[in-house]
Amino acid sequence: MPSPTSTWVASAQAVFTKDWRCELRSRYALNAIGLFAVTTLVVTSAALGPAGTNKSLAINVLPAMLWLILLFAAAAGLPRAFVHEEESHTAIALRLASPPSALFVGKLVFGVTLLLAIEALIAPLYLAVMSLEVNSPGLLVVALVSGGYGLAAGSVLIAALASQARGRSTLFSVLAFPVLMPLLLLAIELTRNAVAGDVAGPALPQLLLYDGSVTIAGLMLFPAVWNP
Amino acid sequence: MTRTISLGLRAALWLVMSLCIWGAFFYAWSDPAFIGQSSRILFFHVPMAWTSFVAYFAAAIWSARYLWGGRQMRHDRAAAAAVECGVLFGVLATITGSLWARIEWGAFWNWDPRQTSIVVVLLFYGAYLALRSAMADAEIRARISSVYALIALVVTPFFYFIVPRITDSLHPQPVINADRKIDVDPRMFHVLIASALTYTVLFFWIHNLRTRTQALVDAREDDPS
Amino acid sequence: MITGANGSGKSTLLRCLAGLLAPDAGTIDHLEGGSVLSTAERRARIGFVAPDLAFYDELSAGENLEFFAKLRGLPSVRAGELLERVGLPADRAAGALSSGMRQRLRWAWALLARPRALLLDEPFQNLDVEGEDTVRSLLGEHLESGGLAILASPIALEVSGAVSHLNLGR
Repeated sequence: MPSPTSTWVASAQAVFTKDWRCELRSRYALNAIGLFAVTTLVVTSAALGPAGTNKSLAINVLPAMLWLILLFAAAAGLPRAFVHEEESHTAIALRLASPPSALFVGKLVFGVTLLLAIEALIAPLYLAVMSLEVNSPGLLVVALVSGGYGLAAGSVLIAALASQARGRSTLFSVLAFPVLMPLLLLAIELTRNAVAGDVAGPALPQLLLYDGSVTIAGLMLFPAVWNP
Repeated sequence: MTRTISLGLRAALWLVMSLCIWGAFFYAWSDPAFIGQSSRILFFHVPMAWTSFVAYFAAAIWSARYLWGGRQMRHDRAAAAAVECGVLFGVLATITGSLWARIEWGAFWNWDPRQTSIVVVLLFYGAYLALRSAMADAEIRARISSVYALIALVVTPFFYFIVPRITDSLHPQPVINADRKIDVDPRMFHVLIASALTYTVLFFWIHNLRTRTQALVDAREDDPS
Repeated sequence: MITGANGSGKSTLLRCLAGLLAPDAGTIDHLEGGSVLSTAERRARIGFVAPDLAFYDELSAGENLEFFAKLRGLPSVRAGELLERVGLPADRAAGALSSGMRQRLRWAWALLARPRALLLDEPFQNLDVEGEDTVRSLLGEHLESGGLAILASPIALEVSGAVSHLNLGR
């Protein structure tokens, strides 16, 4: 008889593997997020040109724009994590079979890895297209990982809420943007510091605190979202 | 008997509220650091902002009680009514605040840290009300919106650290800090504290009425006869 | 056996029993060894078959069952055994299954964890003669081994064993 902990880990892992397997076969979220990101990248680049050569634009505008692109890319793909389960009625079988916290963690890790993969694709492209020179590349990676984690975690939690209501995708944006706003402001600040070559400053511990708070809130609240 | 007590309480609230308004105009000083008599609007603005935060906090407590206190619908009704009152007081605080900003800073809206915070908080609770209206089933609505109210409680404190830092970088000129002035003058302080308490009581009274009428509406929906 | 007209609440009752819906009033107490089980414990002991139970179209029938076996901490051989019993090809994508084959998959899914109780909402719909025979023999085995089954259907169905009827009015 396996221990409860190892069963829990296996359940979370099963959800994660299942989601990636479905995703790689349908490529729904990857296509939606990827195309969305590339389209916005083309538009911003066409409108601004190689804006990174302008020092003031490079620090004041470009980091904010990068995170807006990532925000909308996340909003295009991540809500599907739960919305699709409800729409295709697979949520019933899932509800009966899985412990909610393991399900949440499986979905969370799926969302985080998906978003980090998208970031790995978009961020270098963005830097190249905008001719944006980053003075502390290490800090930029830290900003992308810690910001990306919070963005995915917040989106997955809100997706679970929105999937229970009517007008799911519109509602997702309305619900998610206030929740994600502090995260975005912190991630932008950190990215700005990375571009300027400054130290991380208070934005980094606050960003990590946000990531931790959203994860803990999700673990505590998700069972109430998922089960009657 | 309870009727008499309730009438007495309402009369007392009316009396104290009148006293607060009178005090705002005739008891407290008009602070000469501000243009004309404009400082007097603070006696309305600050208590309203304070009350809206009391309401949001109360909504979070009722939401938690709904989720972990036996899933009773009355807790959900109380949470929803508290958010409605919070949004009402929040909008009033925003309006009074921007009237003052027009006189003092020359524009209704300046993205001052406090203005930014209150708008974000209003967005949050506006989303809460939109979420409620998107769910027909009472049990699901109660569960999901309670969770959202608690998420709001976890996330909003971050704005207190972040917003001043970020908007300060956009507005390098020092902004007059109302709180510092209040500490100076005891009369202003008296009126402010009295108003804050009275508005809080006003909130609980409105909240009580709203919860009770909603309970009647819900009861009629369950049993249309 | 629960019978009743369309819209009389058969499916809703089964969903409440399965812990998918909260009852409007009252509570559901599943007693075992003198103590009331939590919703999670109750779910672990039931198998559920219903018309709107669906699986992942992107995955094959076998992958679907293996996923749910893993979720519940069961060995994945159990998934293979059951698929063979209900006569489904393991490598066919769930999205490409006919409605009768989907019904067989639902049965295989419901029996995965060897549940004590089966909640069956229109359990024989869309099945061909051979499929219904298979499923009935599975149900027979379940009842013989001391299991309980609650069936909901708009019309009374022929089932063997001790049967009590409950008719829901409008």
